[in-house]
Amino acid sequence: MGYLLLAPEMLLTVLGIVVLALGLILPQRGKKVTGAVAMIGTLGILVVVFWQFGYEAEFFQGVYGIDAYSHFFRVLFLSAALIIFAMAGNYLHLFSERQSEWYSLMLFATLGMIIMASSGDLITLYVGMELMTISFYILSAYLLDDGRSAEAGLKYLILGALSSAVMLFGISLIYASSGSTVFAVVYQTLQAQVVTQPVLIAGIILLIAGFAFKIALVPFHMWAPDIYQGAPTPVTAYLAVGSKAAAFAALLRILVTALPAAHYNWTMLLAILAAVTIITGNLIALAQRNVKRLLAYSSIAQAGYILVGLAASNVYGFKGVLFYAMLYVFSNIGAFAVATLVETQSGSSDFDAFSGLAKRAPMLAAIMTICMLSLAGIPPMAGFAGKFYLFSGAIQSGYLWLAFIGLIMSMVSVYYYLNVSRLMYIGKSSEQSVPVPAMARVALLVCLVGTLIIGIYPQPLSQFAEIAIQVLY
Amino acid sequence: MFDLFSGSWIIVALPFAAFAAIGLFLHRWPKAAAYTSILAMALSTLWSILIAIQVFTAAPGQVFTAAVRWLEMPGLRVDMGILIDPLSAVMLLVVTIVALLVQIYSLGYMEGDPGLSSYFAYHSIFAGSMLGLVLSSNFGQVFVFWELVGLCSYLLIGFWFGRDSAKEAAKKAFITNRVGDFGFLLGILALAVLFGNLDYQHLAMRLTDYHNLAVLLPIALLLFAGPVGKSAQFPLHVWLPDAMEGPTPVSALIHAATMVAAGVYLLARAFFIFSAVPQAMYLIAVVGGFTALFAASIALVQIDIKRILAYSTLSQLGYMVMAMGIGAMTAGMFHLMTHAFFKSLLFLGAGSVIHAMHGEQDIWKMGRLSAKMPVTTWTFVIGALALAGIPPLSGFWSKDEILLGAFSRGHLFLYGLGSLVAFMTAFYMFRLIFVAFFGSGTKGSHAHESPPVMTWPLLILALLSVVAGFVGSPLLGNVFGKYINAPGAAHHEMNIAIMVVSSLLAAGGIFLAWLIYQKEVISHLELKQRFASVYEILYHKYYIDELYARLVAVFIDGSARVLEWVDLKIVNGLVNGLAYFTGWSGKQLSYTENGQVQTYALYLFGGVLVILVGAVLAVYYTVLA
Amino acid sequence: MSEHATIGVFLILTLVFPIAAMIAAWLFRAKPEPSEEKLLPYECGVDTQGPSQMRFKINYFIYALVFLAFDVETIFLYPWAAKFQSLGLFAFVEMIIFIAILVVGLWYAWKEGALKWY
Repeated sequence: MGYLLLAPEMLLTVLGIVVLALGLILPQRGKKVTGAVAMIGTLGILVVVFWQFGYEAEFFQGVYGIDAYSHFFRVLFLSAALIIFAMAGNYLHLFSERQSEWYSLMLFATLGMIIMASSGDLITLYVGMELMTISFYILSAYLLDDGRSAEAGLKYLILGALSSAVMLFGISLIYASSGSTVFAVVYQTLQAQVVTQPVLIAGIILLIAGFAFKIALVPFHMWAPDIYQGAPTPVTAYLAVGSKAAAFAALLRILVTALPAAHYNWTMLLAILAAVTIITGNLIALAQRNVKRLLAYSSIAQAGYILVGLAASNVYGFKGVLFYAMLYVFSNIGAFAVATLVETQSGSSDFDAFSGLAKRAPMLAAIMTICMLSLAGIPPMAGFAGKFYLFSGAIQSGYLWLAFIGLIMSMVSVYYYLNVSRLMYIGKSSEQSVPVPAMARVALLVCLVGTLIIGIYPQPLSQFAEIAIQVLY
Repeated sequence: MFDLFSGSWIIVALPFAAFAAIGLFLHRWPKAAAYTSILAMALSTLWSILIAIQVFTAAPGQVFTAAVRWLEMPGLRVDMGILIDPLSAVMLLVVTIVALLVQIYSLGYMEGDPGLSSYFAYHSIFAGSMLGLVLSSNFGQVFVFWELVGLCSYLLIGFWFGRDSAKEAAKKAFITNRVGDFGFLLGILALAVLFGNLDYQHLAMRLTDYHNLAVLLPIALLLFAGPVGKSAQFPLHVWLPDAMEGPTPVSALIHAATMVAAGVYLLARAFFIFSAVPQAMYLIAVVGGFTALFAASIALVQIDIKRILAYSTLSQLGYMVMAMGIGAMTAGMFHLMTHAFFKSLLFLGAGSVIHAMHGEQDIWKMGRLSAKMPVTTWTFVIGALALAGIPPLSGFWSKDEILLGAFSRGHLFLYGLGSLVAFMTAFYMFRLIFVAFFGSGTKGSHAHESPPVMTWPLLILALLSVVAGFVGSPLLGNVFGKYINAPGAAHHEMNIAIMVVSSLLAAGGIFLAWLIYQKEVISHLELKQRFASVYEILYHKYYIDELYARLVAVFIDGSARVLEWVDLKIVNGLVNGLAYFTGWSGKQLSYTENGQVQTYALYLFGGVLVILVGAVLAVYYTVLA
Repeated sequence: MSEHATIGVFLILTLVFPIAAMIAAWLFRAKPEPSEEKLLPYECGVDTQGPSQMRFKINYFIYALVFLAFDVETIFLYPWAAKFQSLGLFAFVEMIIFIAILVVGLWYAWKEGALKWY
C-alpha cells in the first residue's frame, strides 16, 4: 500500500483545514454545516482505517510506522473524537459563532495523537505531542467569557511548556548517549552500553516525567483538576481520554521497543508512581463536590490503574493497558457526556445540579450510573474486565502489593462513584427536564452499549489488543 | 443443513430481543407487547421444529456444536456455545411448543391485567433463558441461564406482588433455590479446578479415563444439589407448592413443564458424570423415589386444585429423577417430555376453571363443571388419564418405561414404590375430577366456558398428550430410545406383565376414587375421621415448612443475633473509623491543590528531582552491592 | 568518571558561557563616567511619556505570531530553494502543499481581523 497507508493522517489534515475554511466561507461561519462535515469526515476516515487493517509499513527509515498497534490507537482516537463530536451538540452554543475552529482544533488534536501512537522517532513523537497539546491549550480556554476557562488555558500552557522542556531535556540526553532518536537505533546502540550510565538514567527519567505530566501521574498531576474543571466539558472529556491514551501509547512503544525492561529496570519506578497515583487520586476524589472535578481526580486514579499494566511489563499487562484505554473511551466519555448535557441545561456541574436527575432524565441517570460502575470496576461492566487484565498482569510479574493497593483503592472509589448515583436517585429534584438532542442520544447509547458489551463479552477486544501488542515484540 | 444449525442461536436471541423491545419501547402498549412476545416465540418454535426434523431424520448420534470464546485465562476456558443433539432437540421442541401455547393462552387468561406488558416481557426473557439453558454446551453457560430462569421464576411467582402470599412465595422459591445453586456452583468450580474446562464433550472425553471416585463422588453430589433445588426434590421441595401463587399459565409453563424439568435435563446432560459414580446414582434414585411417594401422599388430601397439581408435579419429577438414578436415562427424558404436555394441559385446564370460577381454587367449592365447561372438562380428563397412566395415552408409555427399567435392573423396592405411586396418582387425580367436575356439588353451575384463545391450546395439548407417547412405545419400535440414550443406559425389552400390572393399578385407583367421591359408597368424611392423625400430617405436608421455620429460628436467627452484636460493636467501629480516616486523608490531600501555578510547577520539578536522586542512589547501591 | 563527563561538561558550559560573555563585554566595552543622560532607561531613542507599566495592544502579539509563521516558512524555503535543482518535482509539490497550508492560515488570520489595526 505504500504511502497510501498514511491516508488517514493526510485526510485528517485536509479535513481540519477544510472545516476551518468552511467557517470562513459560509454564512454564520458555517455554524450549521461544519459539525456535520467534521463528523462525516471522521467517520469516513475511521472506515479507511478499518479497511487498512492487516497492512504494515515503515516510513523514512523507521521514523514513522504503521502497524497493528497504530491501527488500534487510530481506531481509539477517531472513535473517541466521533463520540465527543456527537455528544457535544447543544453545548457548542456556548461558543456562539466559533464552532468551525473548535471542530478544526479537535481534529488537529486527534491528528497529533495519531502521530504520537505511530511515530518511531523521538522528535516526530514530540512534534505530534506538541500538535496535540497546543490544540488543547486553545481548546481549554475556549469559553471566552468564563474566567475559569481562561485560567485553565493559561495554566495548561505554562505547565505544559515546563513539562515539554523536561521531556525535551530527557530526549536530548538519550540522544547524547545513543547518537540517534529513532527507537530501533537507540535500542541497538544502547544494548552495548553500560546500564548504569547516569546520563542515560537521567534521560529515561526525564522522558518518563514528561509523559507523566500528560498522563497526570502524581506528583505531576496538579494541573489536571483545575484544567478539567475549567475547560469546556467536551474538551475535558477528550483531554481525559484521548490525551492520556496518546501518552500511554507513545510511552508504551518507547519503553518496549527502545528501552526494554530487560535492560533497564524501569518497572519499579512505574510501579511506585502507579501506587502513589492510585492512592492520591482516589483519596482526593472522596472530598470533591463537583462532578467534573470528581471525574478529574477519578481519571488521575484511572491513569494509575493503567500504569499498573505498564509496570507489569508482560503481555498480560500491556494487553490490559490497551484494553483499558479502549473501554475508558466508552465509560469515561459516557460519564462526561451526561455531565455535558446536565451542564448545558443547568449551567453548573456541581453536585446540586445532578440532584434527583433520575426523575428528570432517567436515561441519563442510568447511563451515568453504569459508566460510574464500570469505572469503579464492578462486573459485568467493562471496567471489571479491564482491571482484571491489568491486575493479573501485575500479579504475574510479582507486583502482588501493587495489585493489592489497586484492589483496595478500587473499593474506596466505589464510594464516590456511587455517591453520584445516590444523589441522582434519591436527591431532591427540581422539575426541569434535561433535553437530549438526537445525536447526543446516539453517542450515549454507543457509550452504554460499548461499556456493557466489552464487559459481558471481552474476548474480541482482548484479541484486538493482543494482536496490537504482538507487533512490538 | 448446517446453516440451520449454526444459526440456531437465533432461537435463543429472539425471545431476548422481544424482551428488550417490550422493555424499551412497547411497555405502554400491552397488546403490542403480547403479540411481539408471541411472534418471537412462534418464530423460535418454527426454527426448533425445523431443527428437530433435521436431527430426527439424520442417523442417531450426530452432534452439532459451535462455540465462541468467552473467557480464557491460564487454567480455565469458558465458551459460549451451542450443542445440538437429539437430547437438546427434544427439549427445544418441548420448551418452545409449551411456551408458545401458554403465551397464547395467557392472552385470554391475563386479559385486562394492568401488568400485561411486564408479564409478557418476563415470559419472553424466561423462554430465552430456558432455551439458552437447553442449548448450552458447557457448565459455565448453563449456570448463567440456570440463574436467569430462577430469576424469571421469582419475578413471575411474585407477579401479583400486591399479595403478601405471592411476595412470600417468590422469596421462598428464590432462597430455597439458592441453597441448591450454591452446591451446583461448587460442583462446577470443582470441575473447573480439576479439568480446567467446562465443556460437556470435553469433560465426557476426559472422564473416560478418570476413575478417582473419592473426587468424583463429592462432585457428583454437589452437582446434584442443583437439580434438587430446581426440580424441587426432597428436602428442597418446599418452594414449588407455594410457587402456585403465580398466575396459572406461569405454573403451567415454569413450574410444571419446563423450568422444574431443567434439573432432570441437567441430570441427563451430565449423565456421563453421574453414571461414573454408582453410589451417587443410588442416592439420586432414592431421593427421587422418596420424593415421588412423599409428594403423592400429600396430594391425596389437598383441597386446592393447583396445590394438588403442584404435589403431583413434585411426585412426577421424583419419578424422573428416580429414572435417572437407576440409569434409565432414556425413560426419564421420555417421561419429562410426556409429562410436560399433559401436566401443562392440566394446569391450563385448572386455570380455565379458576378463570371461570372467578379465582376460586377450592375443589369442594366447585362441582358439576362438566355441564358448563365441556372442552375444559374433557381435555382435563384426557390429561388426568395420561398422568394416571392409562393405555394408550402418553403417560402410560413413559411411566411404564421407568417401571420396566427399575424392574429389570433389579431395583425391586423402587419398582414397588413406583407402582404404589402410580396407584396413588390415579386416585388423587380422579378424586379431583370427580369432586370438581362431576360429583354431587352444584356450586360450579354458574361457571362458563373459557374463550377460544384459551381452549385451543387445551385442545392442542390434549392431542399431544394422547399421541406423544407413541414415539417411545415399543409398538412403533421405540424411536425415542434410538436417538436418546447414553452409554450405560441400556434398553430393555418390553414386558407385558409390567404393563398389565401398572394399567390395572391405575384403573384400580380411578375406580376407588369413583367409589368414594362419585358414588359415595364409602364416605370420605368418615374416612377422614377414622384416620384423623394421618390426615392431619398429610394435610400439613408432614410439617416440613414448620420444621424449617423452627430450624431457621433457632440456628440462623440465633447466630444472626450473635453476629449482629459483633458487627455493631466491633466491625462497625473499625469500618467507621477506617472510613473516617480515608475521608479525612482525602480532604487533607486536597489542600495540596491550591490553584497556584507556581506551586504546581514546584511539585513538578520536585517530583523530577526526587525521582532522579532516588533512581541514581538506587542504581549506585545495587552496583556497589 | 568518564560517564559523568558528558553531563558535567554540558552543565559547566551552560554556566560558563553566559558569564564569559558578560565578562568579555565588560572587558572590552568603553567605560565612561555615568551622567544623567547615561542613567536614563533608554539611552538611545525617545524619552518615555506617562506611566511605563501600561498594557500593550494585543495586535502587537498577533502581528508577531503571523510574522513568526512566515519567518519559519522562510527558514524552510531557503535551503529548499538553494537545492531546488537536485530535489526534483516531489519536493516542489511538497513545498506547494506546505505553502498552501500556511496560506489558509493567513487567510484565516486576515478574515479574523488580525491584520487590522484598531
